[in-house]
Amino acid sequence: MTTIDVTKPMQPEAGRPAQGTNYLNHTTGIMSWLLTMDHKRIGVMYLVSILTSFFLAGIFGLLVRTELIAPGRTIMDADAYNIMFTLHGAIMVFLVIIPSVPASLGNFVLPIMLGAKDVAFPRLNLFSYYLWVTGAIFAVAAIIFGGVDTGWTLYVPYSTTGTEMNGIIFLSMAVFVLGFSSIFTGLNFIVTIHRLRPPGMTWFKMPLFLWAIYATGIIQVMATPVIGITVLLLIVERAFGIGIFDASLGGDPVLFQHFFWFYSHPAVYIMILPGMGIISELISVHSHKHIFGYRFIAFSSVAIALFGFIVWGHHMFVSSQSPLMNVLFSAITFSVSIPSAVKIFNWLATLYKGSISLNTPMLYALSFIFLFTIGGLTGLHLGTLATDIHLHDTYFVVAHFHYVMMGGAIIALIGGIHHWWPKITGRMYSEFWGRIACGLVFVGFNIAFFTQFVMGAKGMPRRYWDYTDQYRIYHVVSTVGSYIMAIGFFITAAYLIHSLFRGRKAPANPWGGRSLEWQCSSPPPAENFPEPPHVGDCYDYSVLEWDEQEQGYHWRRDIPHPVGEA
Amino acid sequence: MIVYATILALLGTPSPVKTPGSYFGMPEQASTIAAGVDWMYDFITWLCIFFFVVIVGAMVIFMIKYRRRAHVADTGGPTHNTPLEITWTVIPLILVIAIFYIGLKGYVHITTPPANSYEIEVTGQRWFWTFRYPNGATETNILHVPVHRPVKLTMGSDDVIHAMFIPAFRVKQDVVPGRRTQLWFEATRVGEFDLKCAEYCGTQHSQMIGKVIVYDEDEFEVVIEELARWIDDVPDEKLHLAGALMYNQCSSCHTLDGSDLIGPSFKETHELFKAAGTRQLADGATVAVDDDYLQQSILKPLDQIAKGYPSSMPPGIGTQLGARKLQALVQFIIRLDEVAPDGNLIEVNRQDIVVEEAEAEEAE
Repeated sequence: MTTIDVTKPMQPEAGRPAQGTNYLNHTTGIMSWLLTMDHKRIGVMYLVSILTSFFLAGIFGLLVRTELIAPGRTIMDADAYNIMFTLHGAIMVFLVIIPSVPASLGNFVLPIMLGAKDVAFPRLNLFSYYLWVTGAIFAVAAIIFGGVDTGWTLYVPYSTTGTEMNGIIFLSMAVFVLGFSSIFTGLNFIVTIHRLRPPGMTWFKMPLFLWAIYATGIIQVMATPVIGITVLLLIVERAFGIGIFDASLGGDPVLFQHFFWFYSHPAVYIMILPGMGIISELISVHSHKHIFGYRFIAFSSVAIALFGFIVWGHHMFVSSQSPLMNVLFSAITFSVSIPSAVKIFNWLATLYKGSISLNTPMLYALSFIFLFTIGGLTGLHLGTLATDIHLHDTYFVVAHFHYVMMGGAIIALIGGIHHWWPKITGRMYSEFWGRIACGLVFVGFNIAFFTQFVMGAKGMPRRYWDYTDQYRIYHVVSTVGSYIMAIGFFITAAYLIHSLFRGRKAPANPWGGRSLEWQCSSPPPAENFPEPPHVGDCYDYSVLEWDEQEQGYHWRRDIPHPVGEA
Repeated sequence: MIVYATILALLGTPSPVKTPGSYFGMPEQASTIAAGVDWMYDFITWLCIFFFVVIVGAMVIFMIKYRRRAHVADTGGPTHNTPLEITWTVIPLILVIAIFYIGLKGYVHITTPPANSYEIEVTGQRWFWTFRYPNGATETNILHVPVHRPVKLTMGSDDVIHAMFIPAFRVKQDVVPGRRTQLWFEATRVGEFDLKCAEYCGTQHSQMIGKVIVYDEDEFEVVIEELARWIDDVPDEKLHLAGALMYNQCSSCHTLDGSDLIGPSFKETHELFKAAGTRQLADGATVAVDDDYLQQSILKPLDQIAKGYPSSMPPGIGTQLGARKLQALVQFIIRLDEVAPDGNLIEVNRQDIVVEEAEAEEAE
């Protein structure tokens, strides 16, 4: 395995790229991408793949919403609907949100933030990507060969004996393989952060995004093997009739739920923690103010990762798990809400007396605070035993996790893409259309999902193809909201693609960021930095000044540049 | 269990808080726990609104007040304040402990059925519910219950996981194959309320819905009596069709298409009957498959165990049927080729096979 020793300065001639070359154009040809070990190119490949999956799963989601615009059959029958919501959930969770931020933006940004040339294990990194691709192929195979209608939760005995659709084995294989992709990425980042920090970058001088990625990596490495084993057991039971979970074969269906949520609850934090890391960067950079309460934010990431392991039972309050377990899980669940609240308060304190640029990345960050606050607070209704019994498995839960997963993780991803887009592509997108699209997504999202809280409280169960007339108005409003959101995303895709060809060339530091990725060119050179940069306080922006001509920020002339060049 | 019992003893039974109904969209209240649950739901929602207004309010004010006016690279300001941060860690902590506690109190009450509860057996199957009453009466998809009397449902599933959900009562419980789960409620008023399956169970999951009908105590007795008695209004020549209506009680162990589950398939038994054949028993004896054998096998299933099958059929199933229902099941097996040609049950409606009293008199 190749490791990069950043403590040895590179030869200046070799390290300094010729004028105009960067990681995008220093080598060319399709193989230079497919076999690349450059973390930046791998990050870009992940980004394209994940966004393609997001598009697909988004279409499935829109089809689900369209079917539900009226009771009874609207555009598809119940079996097709069941396949649709299963695919929407499974692809969004396993192919999009879990890998999204770490594998795409994390891959691109993490080594540069560390002033390193690459991650600790570049080959393993490429291997992770191809595991993701293999997992995606299995997922497609599941759709083609038999279909899956179990819901993304794969509950037994429905998934083993209850359904005729044979795609379940392919989907389980997909989950298994994707799990390893996730484990390897997490492992790679943990080792990179431990070993490749530049001289002077102590743990508490790391950008908070790295703390979030580090905490995520711990969950990925420790929790993901459990889902791998669980889906293997599922395959064994379905294919060979070996009784593990099936009561008629001497197994216990509730055991599967324990195994499943032992991974899938921590997985919620795999999804949201990197998003929170992005928001910590965005709020500080675009407020042009030092992050408030660095240590509290950093420790809260680790606290969330650790608490996240011991709350899985709150998905099972009505599963026939013992009442005592329910009481204990409820109690621990409330404890996990505290670190999230701490982060929100620290972000607000960062905004206080800042100089807040309301540009597209920042609008997404502020949307995140709005949406995640709703998502987090409604978690209180679900963590409380007496109220969860009524709300469990209703649209209230659907609304809650969309506010957290989509309003949190996806909005943070989109915000992060806008924040690092100039760095990744070397181009600026249309700020005007960026704000319009963000507004549409924000408004559409709230129309689509806030109504679902009301519907759920009124007793509308989830995963229903049909419903009674009393819920009709909420379904109609929700579907309209989803269309508005979709328009927002299509506009986003349009102006981002447009910027690749027609966008203004991006300055090295368009927003005034202090962490190391803003101190190299846009796009960065293949080696990132010719020599290990000097490290200071990555949230102290007083070393920067605005350059009217460049339309960006540069390092003040009277202060030595961290990379040793002006 | 001991720990749980201790918690229960410490908390005591909370008196339900009377509220006019929820401010935030909960459905109508029709059980003793509904008002308490709604009070908690509303309390948490008000708390959420408070924090939402504080957080988003501050955010919007800062967005406007501190919006960017010049290209300042850095605005300075404090980078941390430990007392402040401890404050906003500890206050939410105290609040969530309070929420947990009130939620716990309500929950202990919700999950502890009173000792004098009226018991109803529930079976969840794709895609319908079967309710069985102490007097042997059974009903599909309609749950009849008395008002002002605690009712305990003891539930099991014959296939995949289902969940019993009655929104107006604020109760929900998964129904899990291989386990017996329970749920209790006490209805507070007469009326009809929705009952739904809340755990995804396949194609017709959204059709696995029914009604709870709440009656006055007197009326309830009449309804349940009538439910147990309808079989008497079925003429003899239609008894096999009545048996078809009851087959869902047998289906988890006996198939109609010849395949083996836990007990012998009814098809095999039917064919043996037609051929006046005999069956090998587990104790080595041989028995003629005739009318008497069929009756005895249902009434005293453990006396004559067919060879190769476990002795697992509960004796209670047969004895609580009553003579006429027993006869209906026997006729069902005897005339299986009519009610289940090619192994699939034909559709039967109770109304179609019951002879109304007026009609019966006319016929005479």
